[in-house]
Amino acid sequence: MTTDWALRVSSLGKIHGSADLRALEDTGPDIGTAKSAITGSIVAAWDVGFEVSPGEALGVIGESGSGKSTVMRCIAGDQPSTSGEVHLRTVDDGRTNVLELDPSARRRLRISDLAVVYQDPAEGLRLNVTAGGNIAEALTAAGWRHFGRIRDRAAELLERTEVPHSRMDDLVGTFSGGMRQRVQLAKALANEPPVLLLDEPTTGLDASVAAGVLDLIRNLLEETGVAAVVVSHDFAVIEMLTTRCVVMNHGRIVEAGLTDRLLEDPHHPYSQRLVGAARA
Amino acid sequence: MTFADNILSVRGLSKDFVLHTIDGRRVEALRGVDLDILPGEHVALAGSSGAGKSSLLKCIYRTYEPSAGSVVLRLRSGSRIDLTLLSDQEMSYLRGRDIGYVSQFLRAEPRRGPLDIVARAGVSRGMDRNTARDAAAVSLKRLNIDEKLWDVHASVLSGGEKQRINLAAGTISSPQLLLLDEPVSALDPANREAALDLIGDLATQGVAVLAVFHDVEAMERLASRIVLMRDGRVESSGEPSSMLEILTQGARR
Amino acid sequence: MNTPLLQQVLDRTTPVDDSPASHLEVNFGLLDEYSKREIRRAILTAVAVPGYQVPFGSREMPVARGWGSGGLQISLAIVGPYDVVKVIDQGDDEGVNAVNLRRLIVSSTGIPESTTPEDSTLIQTRHRIPEDPLDERHTLVLQVPVPEPLRGVERDMRELARMHAEADYARMWVSLYEDKVRNGVITRTTGYPCLVNGRYVIATTPIPRWDVPRLHRSRFLALFGAGREKRIYAVPPHTDVEPLTFEDVPFEVEVTPGASCRTCSSTESFLVEIPGATAGDGGHWVCSDSDWCRRNRERLQHPSRGDRS
Repeated sequence: MTTDWALRVSSLGKIHGSADLRALEDTGPDIGTAKSAITGSIVAAWDVGFEVSPGEALGVIGESGSGKSTVMRCIAGDQPSTSGEVHLRTVDDGRTNVLELDPSARRRLRISDLAVVYQDPAEGLRLNVTAGGNIAEALTAAGWRHFGRIRDRAAELLERTEVPHSRMDDLVGTFSGGMRQRVQLAKALANEPPVLLLDEPTTGLDASVAAGVLDLIRNLLEETGVAAVVVSHDFAVIEMLTTRCVVMNHGRIVEAGLTDRLLEDPHHPYSQRLVGAARA
Repeated sequence: MTFADNILSVRGLSKDFVLHTIDGRRVEALRGVDLDILPGEHVALAGSSGAGKSSLLKCIYRTYEPSAGSVVLRLRSGSRIDLTLLSDQEMSYLRGRDIGYVSQFLRAEPRRGPLDIVARAGVSRGMDRNTARDAAAVSLKRLNIDEKLWDVHASVLSGGEKQRINLAAGTISSPQLLLLDEPVSALDPANREAALDLIGDLATQGVAVLAVFHDVEAMERLASRIVLMRDGRVESSGEPSSMLEILTQGARR
Repeated sequence: MNTPLLQQVLDRTTPVDDSPASHLEVNFGLLDEYSKREIRRAILTAVAVPGYQVPFGSREMPVARGWGSGGLQISLAIVGPYDVVKVIDQGDDEGVNAVNLRRLIVSSTGIPESTTPEDSTLIQTRHRIPEDPLDERHTLVLQVPVPEPLRGVERDMRELARMHAEADYARMWVSLYEDKVRNGVITRTTGYPCLVNGRYVIATTPIPRWDVPRLHRSRFLALFGAGREKRIYAVPPHTDVEPLTFEDVPFEVEVTPGASCRTCSSTESFLVEIPGATAGDGGHWVCSDSDWCRRNRERLQHPSRGDRS
């Protein structure tokens, strides 16, 4: 019954400002702030660790400013981290700490080892390019050079994410928010990455649209067997998509557990407040 | 019967809630529960609300994290394992495969049809797609879910229909132990009959069942043993006939 | 990098005093020796790293930037006393700009000029490669207005540098994809993007597609100079130059079915349309390479004489 991880994060930390570690002494959930009075720096995330298996979705929940997006960006390589290790099973069979790769090698991981879906589709897509063209970017980056096959694959991916075929050759900038998010998902999945990071994937969408996108994500997670990390402040999203999750507060993980357990039996004072607020 | 024959052996299971939002108040939901269940045995939990019936189910399934005690389950492989010592990932893996849980309500699901929901439950427990679909169809038919509704989004169905879909999903593969928390509370008599029938069959397949029903009639019909709980403890346990007498007497008083 | 080629560039040193230019008041080749040296260094780097755009300190020239100043600086930095120069503008030796540049090179060096590639060693060109096959004796200097092939997909200089450094050309491919989706064919005609030596994508100046295959594993050295953008890049002899195209969308050169040159009747050269011409004038089309056209016409009129090309 061993569980083999696709993504392993350990001791991940990000400090804005002076890297003086005395900042750790007067920050965190117990102190109630992420800003150190000693050093003046902000401990956005510290000692964050978790593993995610293929086919599993892990939630990262917390209020804005809790450090959850920082963690995601450090894993994705969008932001340099101060400390810690991130291992991907597909990179050197998990032996390499990808945080130590040079920026260029780091970016290459985003082609087919690790994909990200951002809250703002403009971060993951080019709005002045067609839906098919956006997917073509992911495919050509991975070496696809056959126009017909690129078209077929793009059509297949868009069908899977429920984007009408008639819109394949329209500029993404003309799409609605929900439709952009579907294109972003199609692009993220283009090269069948073993690890997928989703940062508030439905935040900002109308409730009914968000529900549809959530349904889609849930289906995709089940069908692809990808290892997913879902960052969200919304318990409904976490409940629908994940089986396990971690709760973050002032840059630290305060609690980890099965998602239903965290919702029904939260232990940490902060988790209890968070769940209480969501349930009210 | 020896200890080794048990599917489930619960010892000293306790659960305290510490409510930090209410000045750290401590609430004791379970206070040292001991319970054994044999293969094919159907144990019904009885007791007034707040006695700890649901808490016991949730502590076994780890929807609540036990504060103390052990929950030893015999896996299909024959090995015995204390669930309280497992990692979350390992527990997550066992859920649905060796240990099932059917609650009163359908869990938040994407907008899918009943057939899809039930079949996916089978796939997530290791069945292949076609087998799962066939089994789902049989189960839905048996629970009188109109075939016309099989591809309708479950969110628009009635409470009773959702409850039956939930039951079908929870029973699609036979786990070692099935936990039922008021699985027929929203059903009309005819559908209730079909649901109870389905649950009754599980015991004959060797599934150990631990159930909470809101009515005595269901217990009378299905239980091979009734365990009466009170204040988070097991008060008494015995044959349904004798236990039901105590229960109904208690109700009359 | 083969040594003879290096030698070829290095050998073009400043002449001794008895050179034909010694009577001129300006330095041989107009540029001072320090400037030449810097430009030659940029050229050597460009040759050593085919397709890589080497920054250089572009000088003020007696022609405005954007009028061939980059090509001119290369020509003047490498020209030697034994060179023969040919300058064309869109294939025409008599274009005003070509004439001016040729005069400048000749007057500042005293070397002979020619219109025939066979007789030339240094050929500076705007937007064409001569029809005649060129070989080891030739150095082709191309004037480049926009050296950055990715300019159309990215404006940020740092991002452009990163894309080249990491050979991240996905967005170039996307632009070709979008072109094909929108128009059914890849409409890009001049300056077609090519992958050089399997590594860097270059802009092939605005030469027509017709000329692109002639850069592939060519026998001559091609140097690209952009004066305004301060960049020099090179395609050394025998280097792969592959037009970016999809496996199932073959790269095709411009051909107008049924068109022939109204002057020499050629159907085998790159033809350009004459604005405003009618069929009554003898056709709409004429050879772009005027010198080649002249010789082709002579050969047809006097078959016995033959032609060296």
